[in-house]
Formats: sequence, C-alpha cells, structure tokens
Amino acid sequence: MNPTRAAVPDPVVWDRLVRTMRDVFDDDELTVQPGTTAGDVEGWDSISHIELMVALEAAFGVRFNTGEIAGLRNVGDLADVIATRADHDRS
Amino acid sequence: MSALKGLIGEGRHAEAWALLLREALHVEDYGELRALCRAYRRLLDLHSPAEPRVRTRIALLGGATTQPLEDPLRLMLEALGVRATLHTGDYNTFAREMLDPSSRTAAFAPDIAVVLVTPANIPSWPSWSASEPEVATAVEEVCDHWLWLCRSLHEHTGCEIVLSNFHPLPLRPFGALGARLPGEPNRFLRRVNEALARRLPGYVHLHDVETLAALHGVYRWFDARYWYHAKQPVSFECLVPYVRNVTQVIGAMLGRSAKCVALDLDNTLWGGVVGDDGPHGIVIGEGDPEGEAFVEFQRYLLRLKERGVLLAVCSKNEEANALEPFESRPEMVLRRDDFVAFRANWRSKSENLREIATTLNIGLDAIVFVDDNPVEREQIRQAVPEVRVVELGDDPAGFAEALDRTGWFDIVVQSAEDRERTAMYGANVAREELKATVSDYPSFLRSLEQRAVIAPFEERFLDRITQLTNKTNQFNLTTRRLARAELAAMMDSPGYLTAQARLADRFGDNGLVSVFAGRREDTDLWIELWLMSCRVFSRGLEHLLMNHVVERGRALGIGRLHGLYLPTPKNRIVKDLYPSLGFVACGGLLGGDHWVLDIERYSPLETTISRIDEGSYESDEGRRA
Repeated sequence: MNPTRAAVPDPVVWDRLVRTMRDVFDDDELTVQPGTTAGDVEGWDSISHIELMVALEAAFGVRFNTGEIAGLRNVGDLADVIATRADHDRS
Repeated sequence: MSALKGLIGEGRHAEAWALLLREALHVEDYGELRALCRAYRRLLDLHSPAEPRVRTRIALLGGATTQPLEDPLRLMLEALGVRATLHTGDYNTFAREMLDPSSRTAAFAPDIAVVLVTPANIPSWPSWSASEPEVATAVEEVCDHWLWLCRSLHEHTGCEIVLSNFHPLPLRPFGALGARLPGEPNRFLRRVNEALARRLPGYVHLHDVETLAALHGVYRWFDARYWYHAKQPVSFECLVPYVRNVTQVIGAMLGRSAKCVALDLDNTLWGGVVGDDGPHGIVIGEGDPEGEAFVEFQRYLLRLKERGVLLAVCSKNEEANALEPFESRPEMVLRRDDFVAFRANWRSKSENLREIATTLNIGLDAIVFVDDNPVEREQIRQAVPEVRVVELGDDPAGFAEALDRTGWFDIVVQSAEDRERTAMYGANVAREELKATVSDYPSFLRSLEQRAVIAPFEERFLDRITQLTNKTNQFNLTTRRLARAELAAMMDSPGYLTAQARLADRFGDNGLVSVFAGRREDTDLWIELWLMSCRVFSRGLEHLLMNHVVERGRALGIGRLHGLYLPTPKNRIVKDLYPSLGFVACGGLLGGDHWVLDIERYSPLETTISRIDEGSYESDEGRRA
C-alpha cells in the first residue's frame, strides 16, 4: 500500500476500473483502494499487468503511452491517467 | 459469456465445455478471448473435457514473448479436437533450443515446434545502399540461417515445424526511392519471405504472418508500445487471427481440417428462389452487382474443390428445380458434377447432413455448413453440433471472405489424391444416392399426405389455366400456347374432355398445377394439351390424372387415347411419360412421337395421392389457413 496517496479518484472511472480488474483477475470479491499496488493483488504479475492495461484500453476507449504502461505506481495513479486520457481523447 | 458463466455456476460442466469450445471456434475479439481463457482455466479445475480426437506435444519457441499466446492456443486447439501438451521456451532462447541436442526443448520431445520470430530476430541486414548481388546473397544467407535452425531441431527430435515469416515494418524512411533500393528493409524482408517459401523443406510449414499482416493492416498488426514493453510479436488487436492461424496450420497438419462444404442454394449460390423465380429469374452473372458477387463466391468454392475440398448441396427444393440453373444458366460457375452429393428435397437439413456424412464416409465434424438463412444455421447448430457453421452475414459480397476467414479448410500438403478427390467420390456416391432415394421415396411421398381435386376446366380457374398453359416448359407434352378464349372454347365444347388438377400436401396448397385437354373423334381421344407445374413433378399426380381421364373416357365411350410428344429443348423429362403410363408406340407423326393407349388394357396406376372432392379440399385449406 502506498499511504501517501491523497486525491480522490473520479467515481465513474473508479467503478469501471474496479469491475475491469475483477474480470481480469477473475475475482468478483476483489477489493481495491487507490493505494493498491501490484504486490497487493494475487496473480498480478508482468503478464497479467499487460492484460489489465489492454482490458482497460478497451473498457475506456483510451490508449496508454509506453511510459504509462509500466510506469504507474498504484491503482489511484491508473485511475487518474484514465480520467485524463479520456478527457484528452474527447477534446 | 453470461450463458457460459451460468452453466458453470449451475454445475452443468459438460454443457459448459461444449459452449466454451464452440465460442472459441468463432471468437474474434481479444477481450472475449481472454474471458474464454479464464472460463477455460476454471472449467479445467472443475471437470475434464471430452476426449480429444488427437493428442500432440507442442514446443512454443520464440524470439518474442509467447506467454500470452499459450492459453489461447491451447483453447483454440481443444476446439479443433486437439489436446496439446505445451512446452514454452524461455524468452528469445529459440536459437539455442533449436541447435542444442540436449536442450530442454529436445528433452521435451515435441511432435511439433512452433517458432515465432519477428524482424528483430533477423541476424544481419544488408546496408540500405547495398548492390543487387549483395542483397541477393544476404537474402539467401538469412534463409540459410533459419533453415539450418529448423534442420537441427528436426534432426534431433523428428518434429515438424511451424515457422512464422516476417511482416513488413511500419516505417518507410526511404519513401518512394525505396522501390529502387535493393537494400531497403521492406524490400529485403519481402525477398527473405519469398526465399523461405521457395526453400521450405517438407517438415516446415509456414505461419504466413506477411499475408496476415497485409490483410489486417500492418499499423494494426504491430503495436510498438507492447513490443518495447514486453516483446509482443503481434498487437492484442490482432492476436486472435495470429493464434487462429497457428491453430489452423497445426489442425491441418493433424488432419483436423474440415473436408466438405455443404451448401444451400437459394440466396447462397444465387440470388432469389429457383422454385418461385424459375431458373431464368434467379440472379447470377455479370451485369448485376449481386449476380457478380454470387459468381465470385462460386469461383472461390471451385478453387476449394480443385485442391481437394468436397462440395455438397443441401437445399430445400424440388430436385428438378434445384438442378435447372446448373444446366440452363451459362453464368453458373459450378456445375452439377462439381458436387459429390446433391441433396435437394423437403426433409430437414440435419437429416440430409447426416446422410451426406455417411455417404461420403466422413465425420460430421469434417463438414462446414453454409446457408444464408439464420434459422437453418441455428437448426443445424442445435441438431448437429459437430458440424461447423459459418456466420455468413447477409451480403453475398461477403460470403467468400466469411468462409475463407474461418481457416477451417487450411491445408499444408497437397497430394495427387487431393486433386482427384471429387472424381473419386462421384461414381461411388451416385450409387449410394440412388439406393437412398429409391428406398425412401415412396414413404417420403406418403409422408407428404397429398390430396388432389380433379375436375373439368372451371371458369373461375381459366386465368390460372391460361397462365400455366403459356409458361410451362418442362412437363409439357405438346407445348401448345393458347389464348384464354381458345381454352374457354375447349371448356364449353362437348368435343373436348378437359381436366384441371389442384394439389395440396402437408406443406400447404400448391393450387392448380396441372392442365389436360383431349379432342374427341368418335372413339378416339387425341391429347392436345397436357402440362404440369414442375414444382409437383414426380409426386404421382400424372398417374392420378391418367386414372381420372381413363375413367371419364370410358364413361363417354372412348376406346383409345392418343398421346403426342413434341420434343423441345426444355421438355426432355416427359420424353418417356406415355410409355411409362402404358401407352404403346405408334410411329412418328407431325415431327413427334405418337403413342396409343387401348383403354380396355388399362389398369389404374399407383399413386400416393388421395382424390377428394371439392368440399373437403376447400374446408381443409380453410382449416389450415
């Protein structure tokens, strides 16, 4: 867990993000916090990380940068990037 | 997916497996494929799948990341009846694994090695300014390198190899000038691919990434981000066609490719319905956009047939109608003898497919069903789930592509037998079909529950009688065209014996389908008009009608019937009708055949049609409507 995470993620984005994570990790009970990192989730390795990024791209209709694909520290950052990208792609 | 989750949740595991494998056969979207793979993992824990048709050991080697391909490959192979035990080489160790006889891959003893490489694995590239001879040498050297790796692996393990070739790079720094530079990277790659194809030994089969990338578009095929990040050989967007192609090649190597296309006719091989529109009303041929599309589809099917795929017809039609276009429309590309089985009848298509499989001595899972009608497709999916069904779409312009993209007929080797296959089957099958039809036909006719009303011409049907008289070509003994007034005159004249027949069966009322008129001269009756709609030919109506005419003739004191057959290009099918009814030849007359029947010698002919009166016929129809 990353305890310095402060900002509140966009609720609409958060909801779809959590649902996508539950799908990818095949766990309907999965609980996720903004500070959650890969180490906190069982089965989240480098391969499933890519699966997650691909699934999020499809779910949100966004395209992550090369740097974003591996560079995000926790799920909260992921939500932020999605929210920004979705805005960016819309404008 | 929710249906699949439901079945798993309810513990209906065998059904879940069946649904999963069927979905895997058709999936296109990567997200859906991943969901199927998750369901696959879960089901594997809960319940064993059915016994596979083939088991095989596959080593997956790559100059790129192959892990995301593993479960998709396993699942898609399972859907083809192949149970694969997979061994994955470590990332980018393929060269060592292929060369070293003590490698883990060699120890695994694969039956098949799938070697997935990318342009990044090419050992040396010529300089962009290299001369033609330098590039030619570089091409052969790269080819030598790959074939040397394949030969080593094959010699150590005896395995067959599936080797990918190289997709074009999505960059063109040399622009138009590139065409003049032998060393330009994409030109070099094209030549490497061509050299590989030319020099492939028999134990190496191509995973043709070059062609696939062209079809899907190189920009979509290659995703630089996931290459940099994870060394993915293909984008996720195109991962499904990538893995499917590897699956189909392996399937072809293991005999799991389909062998026969079972085709509908109406709106599948031509536009329109031949039973209604007639052979000249259907749409086929140049000059009409849809007609051209159907021609192209037939050409594609002909290509398949020429390289060993069997073609069969499975159509709901009168056989005579179904055959007409093959004989009378020159625009048709396919001919009757391109098909090894021709099932045009009114029985269910699932029954027909089972019979086709038996007659051709192939499994139901070797048949691919092609039909424009989604209702028929669904019926087959339910009644004969082993048969593969193409999602044809509703535009004939897309039919060839829809069939092609399934990859279900992939082939890696062609033998002389493949080219001769249709001819070999043809003779055998004709015999089988005849046996099948002859034993079934009378019971089939009985099952139709046919009822007919026969009466002299009636005023209220004169329009229909006129229409039939002037448009019927096939079952027409004299092809006399008459105006309504002339037919009305026959109706009113005591010098004529007229008959009209209406026929109904289990499927509905066919309406007025036969017209007869004979001219009386003393004790002779000269048959001037006898025709029947080809929709009801060979159902026994001609027997019923003849029985009726003889009965009435006898009552009128007639002793002999004279039948005249005037041949035309269209009415060959009634050439021997009179003799089949007991008439005797009487020499030529008026350019045709003259036949005579002595009424005293006549015994009623068999028919499965019951003769009923007007009242019952009308009320039947009323009830059914």
